[in-house]
Amino acid sequence: MLGTTWLRKLRAGLAACGLLAVAACGGAGGDDGPVTVSVWAWYPEFKGVVEAFNASHPDIKVEWTNAGTGADHYAKLKTALTAGKGAPDVAMIEFQQIPTFIILDALVDMGEYGANDDKGLYAEWAWKQATDGDKVYAIPVDGGPMALMYRKDLFDQYGIPVPTTWAEYGEAAVKIKAADPNAHIASFGSDGGWINGLMWQAGCRPYGYSQATAKDQVKINLTAPECKKVVEFYGDLVDKGLMAKDPFFTADASAALDSGKYWTWAAAGWTPGYLAGSLKNTSGKWAVAPMPQWTAGADEQGDWGGSTFTVTKQAKNPKAAATVARELFGKSKAAWDIGLDKAFLYPLVRDVAADPAFTGKAYDFFNGQKVNEIFVPVSEKLGEFQFTPFQDFVYSELNDRSAEAMSGSRPWSTVLEETQKNVVAYAEQQGFKVSK
Amino acid sequence: MKVKTRLPHLLMGAGILYFLVPLLWVVVAATKSQPDLLDSPALWFADFNLFDNIGQLFREDDGAYGKWLVNTALYSGLSALGATALAAAAGYGLARFQFLGKRLFETALLGMIMVPATALVLPTYLILSEVELVDTMWAVILPSLLSPFGAYLIRVYVDESVPVELIDAARIDRAGELRIFWQIAVPMMRPAIVTVFLFTLVATWNNYFLPLVMLSDSDLYPLTVGLTTWFNTAQQEAGTRMLFNLVVTGSLLAIVPLIVAFVLLQRFWRSGAAAGALK
Amino acid sequence: MTRSLPITASEADDPPAAPVESRARRRSRRVTAHPVAGMLFVLPFFLVVVAFLVVPLGYAFWLSLSTKSLALGTRFSGLGNYVRAFTDPVLLDGLLRVVLFGLVQIPIMLGIALAGALVLDAVTTKFAMAFRLIAFMPYAVPAVVGALMWGFLYSRTFGPFADLPTLVGGDPIDFFSVSLLLVSLGNIVTWAWTGYNMIILYSALQGVPRELYEAAVIDGATPVQIALRVKVPAIKQAISLAAIFTVIGTMQFFTEPQIMARFAPQISAGYTPNLYAYNQAFAYSDFHYSAAVSFALGFLVFVVAYAFVFVNNRRRGKRA
Repeated sequence: MLGTTWLRKLRAGLAACGLLAVAACGGAGGDDGPVTVSVWAWYPEFKGVVEAFNASHPDIKVEWTNAGTGADHYAKLKTALTAGKGAPDVAMIEFQQIPTFIILDALVDMGEYGANDDKGLYAEWAWKQATDGDKVYAIPVDGGPMALMYRKDLFDQYGIPVPTTWAEYGEAAVKIKAADPNAHIASFGSDGGWINGLMWQAGCRPYGYSQATAKDQVKINLTAPECKKVVEFYGDLVDKGLMAKDPFFTADASAALDSGKYWTWAAAGWTPGYLAGSLKNTSGKWAVAPMPQWTAGADEQGDWGGSTFTVTKQAKNPKAAATVARELFGKSKAAWDIGLDKAFLYPLVRDVAADPAFTGKAYDFFNGQKVNEIFVPVSEKLGEFQFTPFQDFVYSELNDRSAEAMSGSRPWSTVLEETQKNVVAYAEQQGFKVSK
Repeated sequence: MKVKTRLPHLLMGAGILYFLVPLLWVVVAATKSQPDLLDSPALWFADFNLFDNIGQLFREDDGAYGKWLVNTALYSGLSALGATALAAAAGYGLARFQFLGKRLFETALLGMIMVPATALVLPTYLILSEVELVDTMWAVILPSLLSPFGAYLIRVYVDESVPVELIDAARIDRAGELRIFWQIAVPMMRPAIVTVFLFTLVATWNNYFLPLVMLSDSDLYPLTVGLTTWFNTAQQEAGTRMLFNLVVTGSLLAIVPLIVAFVLLQRFWRSGAAAGALK
Repeated sequence: MTRSLPITASEADDPPAAPVESRARRRSRRVTAHPVAGMLFVLPFFLVVVAFLVVPLGYAFWLSLSTKSLALGTRFSGLGNYVRAFTDPVLLDGLLRVVLFGLVQIPIMLGIALAGALVLDAVTTKFAMAFRLIAFMPYAVPAVVGALMWGFLYSRTFGPFADLPTLVGGDPIDFFSVSLLLVSLGNIVTWAWTGYNMIILYSALQGVPRELYEAAVIDGATPVQIALRVKVPAIKQAISLAAIFTVIGTMQFFTEPQIMARFAPQISAGYTPNLYAYNQAFAYSDFHYSAAVSFALGFLVFVVAYAFVFVNNRRRGKRA
């Protein structure tokens, strides 16, 4: 089926666009029948979700394109938005990117199409990030509540207690090094999103932005003590050689996790699925514990990652597009069956997350542990957290400055100061009034 | 001439090893399943899985790889044909005619060769989106028709190897200019034309930046962009989808046609390159 | 590195501008064709030049004269973007990195290519023919595939090299570490382009008249002496042209670091100027500043390359 549409596209390109009749090319004629809504997304196993939607919505036909993963997808989206043509009707966007697309004036307020009715459906923190007052810019899909993954077999074998505070985590790091000089408690991935999640969990709220309140005002405070303590704590572990310096999401990182080189990973709700497929040697040896706390007995939590559906201003039929954004996953059982069992998404739909089928699910990878019993309360507990309208720049700064610290060319204590300085300069250059 | 050849041969042997080892690695790695790719010694064979990999390669994503292969061949074939035709006509026109502005254009040609191609991609995108050509095959093909160097090479070659007397004689016989070009000049220009064709073919076949920017529909990707997409997915999903072996096998199949073309056409392009040097 | 066009021996012996013109002048009396026909031959090419070179360049320049800020929208800013570019520490760092990279990598690569070409010119065994062919093969490998391949080869999981030192009890090599990254990238570029440059220099050597060094052979000069004193000076022009094109390619360094960033996230958004221009446009949506960066970079390359040609021609002119 896809094969024939591809051929049609090629043929149409060859036939309709002669070299001289350049201006005559482009939009194909519309057929009668269901409204077509184009969607860009990179969820795994998404084809089945689209088919389920099309089967249950005879009046709408979703045409799905995978325009790339992460940065590639955003690059294309932003280019098409700048050019004023070529963007899809519905686009997948991660939470931290929402303000960026709001300020580019790229997103349709779905509140006009009744999306405010969905408010109670989703985890509170996620709904807050997706909306600005009663303007609904995005419909949450999946999230990344954080928890600590650790090698239960090795912790048991060497009698190391599972850390409940970050201080204990530091002590465990020393014991692990003593147990196996080639091992590390974890790797510091210099991943902007991950560092952000850790800071969130430490109670740091470095950014503030609301277009509805003031379009040109932004709060940036990366040097608050709650933020700095995270980077300095991890930096200390790295400097002492207790923590490795490998980036996340490479084949080398997977191999290291799978060979006992790393014993823990402060990971997110989507990691069980992410790892279960690739770590064959250590399957069944891992377990999940709640995130270590900065203060003993506290219950502070953070999120790393997660995504939404948005309707772009280029949507030809925004009403139909809003329906697609709300109902591709939404309450669709067929979609979530695929999303949970095959794509391993962490659901932000509260009923789906609270369903015993999800919370009671035992994972072979975690030796039968029902890990969602830990992730679900974390997601429920998460409070408000805002992002800047130029979060790509902030993450790239966090990433680059911590990479400098890892290579020894910058003391860890200056990582956030330098990031703050550069981000503020960038924000001012972009015409924002910056407050702390 | 007596030449001590042991040392040169030793050096050439080292060179062959250096240039060949990465290519050998691709060949060996393409025969491995994903688990073997991660676990077995890098430069030696494990279980022979090449045909399974190739089968899987053409099935993944509803046969995306096959489409990319066809797209790549189509884009680079059309671009190379067009660019060569334009360059041949222009080079011939510059070498064998006098007209107003010719010298200015020739000087400008040298400048054009030095304009960095990547600086043009972004404004070209914005212009092509105005005429609704972005995300179509033409967005890749049309900008690739530009080959100032091809025109320059052919201009020099015509000057050296197409005698003016022959053309003048044809003109006395009242042959049309187009016929003179087509029947007399082109056959004599053949080595230069083959050279320009091959090199523009490679340039488009290997192009990454232009299609990366111009195309968002994965059905229209060429191999370079498609394989990178798969590689990203493979990294992001930590190998859950068994894509690393496909990226490797796909890379091998993407290189083979060009290497074969260069080896088979060696005589043509080398004589094209060398003939220009003989005065 | 992207380079779309071949250099062959033809223009190697054909210094740009002056000699071409003089030859044209010499023959101009004999060209008796209608000027309109000549224009018509050039016209299609000219149209493509206008559409895909002149107009985009003009458009980029026009874009670069205004500023679009996220909060304030678009306004005319004259040369403001250029002032920003030449004082932007990220861009200047990237520029410095690329210049350092070129200063080390280009001489190494061209040195090897020249040595290889001289050997090929002197040794004509089957083995030498095999070497010639194999050295050229990487040219046919897309830069993307080359970078992916080397990424795998450098990786500890896939590749054979990283763990080599562990055989003698050393630490594994981290090819993606900040300190080795430029070397790793340099190796990819060297692998890909040495053979190509070697073939060009070899073709130029083949065009050197044998009489030039037969006298030296009779005088009992060694092959190495002949190579260094006769052959190398004879193809100086081809070497400089290869150098110019390599400089242009290096200044545009993009594909390899962009692909490599997937193995080595330490490759920052401004690692090379071209990568910075790309990220300004496609990550930060600042097309205006990106155009200014591209334009400034292009201008710089243009000036350097033209100066190079100019100096070369003058030096040659004096000698003649």
